[in-house]
Amino acid sequence: MPVIQGFEYFKPKTLNEALHLLSNNRGQASILAGGTDIVVQFKEDLITSKALIDIKGITELSKIEIKEDKLFIGACVTFTDLIESELIKNKFPIIWEASKTVGSVGIRNRATMVGNICSAVPSADSAPALLVYEALVILKNKDGERLVPISDWFIAPKKTGIQKDEIVVGILIHIPKKKYACCYEKLSRYEGEDLAQAGIGILAFEDHYYRIAFCAVGPIPTRAPKLEQFLNGKKITSPIIEEAKKILLEEITPITDIRSSRKYRIHMVKLMFERGLKKVISRLEGGKDA
Amino acid sequence: MNKLKYVGHPVTRIDSLEKVTGSAQFVDDIDFGPNLLYAEIIESTFAHAIIKNIETSSAERVPDVVKVFTGKDFPYKFGLYMKDRFIFAQDRVRFIGEQVAAVVARNPKAAKIAAKLVKVEYEPLPEVLDQMEALKEDSILIHPDLGDYPHVPWFFPKANTNVAHWRKTRRGNIEKGFEEADVILEDTYTVPRYSHCAIETHVAVGKFDYSGRLTVWASSQSPNVQRNLFSEALSPLGLSHKDIRVITPHVGGGFGGKAGVTMEIMVAAIATKLKGNSVKIRWTREQEFYNTYQRLGVIAKITLGAKKDGTITALDHKLYWDAGAYVEYGANVVNAVGLSATGPYRIANISIDSACVYTNLPPGGPYRGFGYSEFLFGLESHIDRVAKKLGIEPVLFRRINAIKEGDTLAYGAKMNANGLLQAIEKVSKEIKWYEGKIESEDPVKVIGKGFSIFWKAPAMPPNASSSAFLKFNEDASINILVSGMDIGQGYLTVMAQIAAEILSIPPSRIRVERPDTDRNPYEWQTVASHVTWSCGNAVKKAALDAREQIYDLIERTHYLDRDTIYLEDEKVKSRTKPDFELALKDFVINGIQVEDGTFKGGPITGRGTFMPEFTSTDADPETSQGGHPNVHYTVGAAAVILQIDKETGKMKVLKVVEAVDAGKAINPDLVKGQVTGGLMQGLATVLYEDMRFDNKGKMLNPNFTDYKIPTSMDIPDEIVPIIIEVPQPDGPFGARGIGEHTMLPAAPMIANAIEDALGIRIKSMPITAEKVALAILKKGEK
Repeated sequence: MPVIQGFEYFKPKTLNEALHLLSNNRGQASILAGGTDIVVQFKEDLITSKALIDIKGITELSKIEIKEDKLFIGACVTFTDLIESELIKNKFPIIWEASKTVGSVGIRNRATMVGNICSAVPSADSAPALLVYEALVILKNKDGERLVPISDWFIAPKKTGIQKDEIVVGILIHIPKKKYACCYEKLSRYEGEDLAQAGIGILAFEDHYYRIAFCAVGPIPTRAPKLEQFLNGKKITSPIIEEAKKILLEEITPITDIRSSRKYRIHMVKLMFERGLKKVISRLEGGKDA
Repeated sequence: MNKLKYVGHPVTRIDSLEKVTGSAQFVDDIDFGPNLLYAEIIESTFAHAIIKNIETSSAERVPDVVKVFTGKDFPYKFGLYMKDRFIFAQDRVRFIGEQVAAVVARNPKAAKIAAKLVKVEYEPLPEVLDQMEALKEDSILIHPDLGDYPHVPWFFPKANTNVAHWRKTRRGNIEKGFEEADVILEDTYTVPRYSHCAIETHVAVGKFDYSGRLTVWASSQSPNVQRNLFSEALSPLGLSHKDIRVITPHVGGGFGGKAGVTMEIMVAAIATKLKGNSVKIRWTREQEFYNTYQRLGVIAKITLGAKKDGTITALDHKLYWDAGAYVEYGANVVNAVGLSATGPYRIANISIDSACVYTNLPPGGPYRGFGYSEFLFGLESHIDRVAKKLGIEPVLFRRINAIKEGDTLAYGAKMNANGLLQAIEKVSKEIKWYEGKIESEDPVKVIGKGFSIFWKAPAMPPNASSSAFLKFNEDASINILVSGMDIGQGYLTVMAQIAAEILSIPPSRIRVERPDTDRNPYEWQTVASHVTWSCGNAVKKAALDAREQIYDLIERTHYLDRDTIYLEDEKVKSRTKPDFELALKDFVINGIQVEDGTFKGGPITGRGTFMPEFTSTDADPETSQGGHPNVHYTVGAAAVILQIDKETGKMKVLKVVEAVDAGKAINPDLVKGQVTGGLMQGLATVLYEDMRFDNKGKMLNPNFTDYKIPTSMDIPDEIVPIIIEVPQPDGPFGARGIGEHTMLPAAPMIANAIEDALGIRIKSMPITAEKVALAILKKGEK
C-alpha cells in the first residue's frame, strides 16, 4: 500500500546535521529510527510531515556502552542489539527480559528502545524496565542538551515531554550500587508477538527496598509509589503480598478494550505482581525462578 | 492389483522447489507492463444505508486518474447459488466496507489520493447485527426484493423476511423419540464469525483486449466458477464464456476464502470499460478481513434424548446463522449443515432446522469445514454432557451411537463405508484415554483430556464435475492439465501420483499445470475436500484412456494381446514374451514403424471426466427426504491433553491425536501435513481468534495485531496424526477427501478437556485464557 503524502527524506551523518535539519523544518519534521511505528503512521495517514530525518546514519547513536557509572543506550539501538548484548544480559537483566517480549523477531531487528518510549503507547514494554532503573532520557537540540527523568517523560497516551526541536539521542541508566534482582512480567494473548495487555516491572534490592512499575494498566506507564512505600523495608511474606495486592489496586486504572477486559487485567496484574515478586526474591537469593 | 509403486508413498511435492526457493509466481509477481492501472475502492461507512448521491468530479480531476466507476456503470447482480450481490452497491449498502465506487489511476498513489475525494451521501437505515433480531417479524428488511432473486432449486428463501434459506430435515418421530429417552438435555451454543487469514490477500488483474476477450488473473480456488459468474454478470456487455479467460497462478492459501467470486468481479467489470489496459486490485489485510467472505456465526439450540443403555433416541438441532449481508455462497453452508447436523451418529428420530439469516455484517461464505466446525462445537460438547448425565463414559457413548456403513442418514440415504470405530479406538489408545487422570506436577496447573469425533461430506451441486487432459511428450514425460488449485494441500502432487501409478512413470517426470480456462479442461472448484476424489478420478480415467491407446497401438503393430501386456518403468512389457520391451519414449508421439516402413499411431493424449451420477437434490422441502445430496462422508476422531493454569486461564496443548479416514492416503506425508495444519487452524479458532464488531457493525480488529492466529511458538508439544484406510469404493485407489476435516474436532475437544480439568462447561467460542480465568473466578465466587 502506497504512502500518499509527500515528504523530503534526509539521512544526516552527524547529530549536528540532524539537529539543524530539525530546526530548519520547524515543527514539520519527523525522526526515523527503526520505523516500525512511524512507517505505519505514514501509511495510515495518522501523521503528516514535510521532512523525514533518518538518524540511522549517525554512528554514535548505535552504541551501548558504560560511561563511568552509567549505561548509555543510543537512539538507534534495536531490541535485537539489546538482546544480543552480554552487558545488558548480565548487568541489566530486566531490559534484556523486556526486550525479548517486544513484537516478533522481525520487529525487534528494526525497532529501537528509544523509539518505543517516543511512541509512548500505554503498553510500551520498555517503560517498566526503564522506570524501575530510574532512567534518564537524553534530549538534544541545536543549543544544547537536557535530561528528563523517565518518570516525567510520559505525559499522556502517545505524548511525551519532547520539544519539537529536540531529538532523543539515548537513554542513561545509573548502575545500581546495591545488590538487586528484577523481572518483567507481561500479559499477552498467546506465545507469539503481542502488545502487552498488562506489564509489570519489579526490582528488589537486598535491603528490602523495591521499585515497581506498570504498563498497559493506565493511560501512561508509571511507577507505583504507594505500593513501593508499603513494601519498603519489609521482608516479603504471604500476608505482606496479600496486603500489597490491595494497595496495588489504588495504583492502576485499567480499562476494558478489545485486547482485554478491566476485570481480567486487574486479576492478572495482582497475579503477575505476586508471581513476579516471588520470582525476584528467589533470584535475589540466588535461587531458581519462583 | 500389483503392489502400488507411487500411490501410498510420501512422494516429495512437485511444487516444493519453486516454493522454497521463492521462484513460484503469484498474481502480484506478474509484470503487466506500463499500461497497468490500479483501482482503489471507496467503501461503505455505514452497515445499512441508502445511497443518495455519489460525487466523483473532484476525484476525476486528480492527475493520473483514468476514471471513476460506481454502481450505475454496472447494474448487474451476481452470485454462486443465489444472485444477491452487486458488482458495486446500487441504491443501498448493507455492510461496512462494501464496495461503493472505484477510482482507477495510472499509479496506486493517485488512486488513493483521488479515492479520498469521492463523496458519498448516505441516508442511514437501522442496522441489524444479530441474527435473532433479524429473525423477528418487525425487523427491518435487508433485502426487500429477496422474493425476486434467482437461486438454485434447493434453496427456500422467505420473501419479505430476512430468511434467505431454511433447510428442514425431519426423520422418524421426534416426539416419540423424546418420550423414549431416559435423559433429555437442552442447551444453546454460540460460535462467532471467523476469518480465513490466508497469507496472500486477494488480488486480481483484469484485461479486456481489442479482440473482445477478457482475461482475469486471480488468486482463486475457482477459475471455472469465476469464468462462469463473470460471464453471467457481464453477458449484457456481449461477453460469453468463450471470450473470458481466467488464469490462476500459485495461490498463497485459500481455506475457502478464495472460492467462488468476491472482489474479482470488480476487475472483470472495470476492465471491460478500459480496453487495452490491465487493471489491478490487491486487497489490503484490512479488506481481506471485512470484504471477502467470513465464516458464518451460529447460535445452535440442541435438545438430545438418550436411553439408559446409551442409545440416542432423538435429536432436535436448531441452527440460526448470522450469514451477513450477502449469502450467495454462505446459504449453502447453512444448507449443508441442515442435512448433516446429526454428526456421525445413528439417530432414529431427527429434527433439524438450519436458518440462513441476513444481517448487516460482512458476507458469510465458505470456510474450511463449511459449517461442520460450527455445529460440531455444540453437538460434541453436548454429547459429552449427555454421557455424563447418563453415567456412561463419553467415548463409550460415542461408540454406542457411532454411525456405521449402511445406517440411514438424516435425509434417508445410506451411510458409506467408513472407519469411525477404528479411528475412535486408535485415538483412545494413543492418548491413553482409559488410563485415568494425569496429575500436574505444578500445583497451579491442572490437566484435562477431551475427545471429539467428526464427519463431513462435500457440499456441492449434485452435478459438480472434474476433468483432465493428459499429454505425452516425445521423451515420454507428461503434462497433465487440470483446473483444480494447489492451495497448499499438495493436490498437484497427488494428481501426478495417480497418473504415475497407472502409467508407470515416476511423478518427477510429470508436470501438473495450474489452471488456465483456455487451456485446461473444466473443474467445478477446489472446495469441499473433493478434488482428490473427484479430479483424482478424472486424472485416473485420463491415464487409463492413454494406456488404452498405448495398448491399442501395441496390438495393432506387435500383434500382442492387450491382456498380456503391461507398463513398467516407462516401457511396455509382455507377460508372455519376456524379451519384448518397448520404451514409451520411442512411440508416444511419433508412433510405431511397421514392416512396410509406414508409421502407426500418433500422439497419445488421454482425456478423463468424472461426475457423480447418483446424486440429487430433489427432495421434499419439509423433510429433506427423497434426494441424495451428498456423495459420501469422511469421518475421524481426535483427542487432546490440555494443561490449564488455574490462575491465569492460560492453556497449553501437551498432546493432540487425530485419526482421519482417508480411504487411501495417496500421499501419507501430505495427509499428515493436513492433520497438523487443520488442527492448528481449529485450535486457533477456539483459543485465540476473536473477531469483534462495534455496535454499528464496524469490525474492530481487521489486523493481526488484535486478531490472533498462532505462531510457531504456539504449536502443541506433540501432534500425532493417524491415517485410517477404509476404501471409498468410487474413489481413486479408494481415496476420499480429508482436507477440511482435520480442523473439525479442535473446538469441542478443547471445551471437553476444560470441563474434564476444571468442571466448567464453556458454551461459546472462542475459549480464550481470559474467558477460562473469569469462569474459574466466577465458580470460586459461588
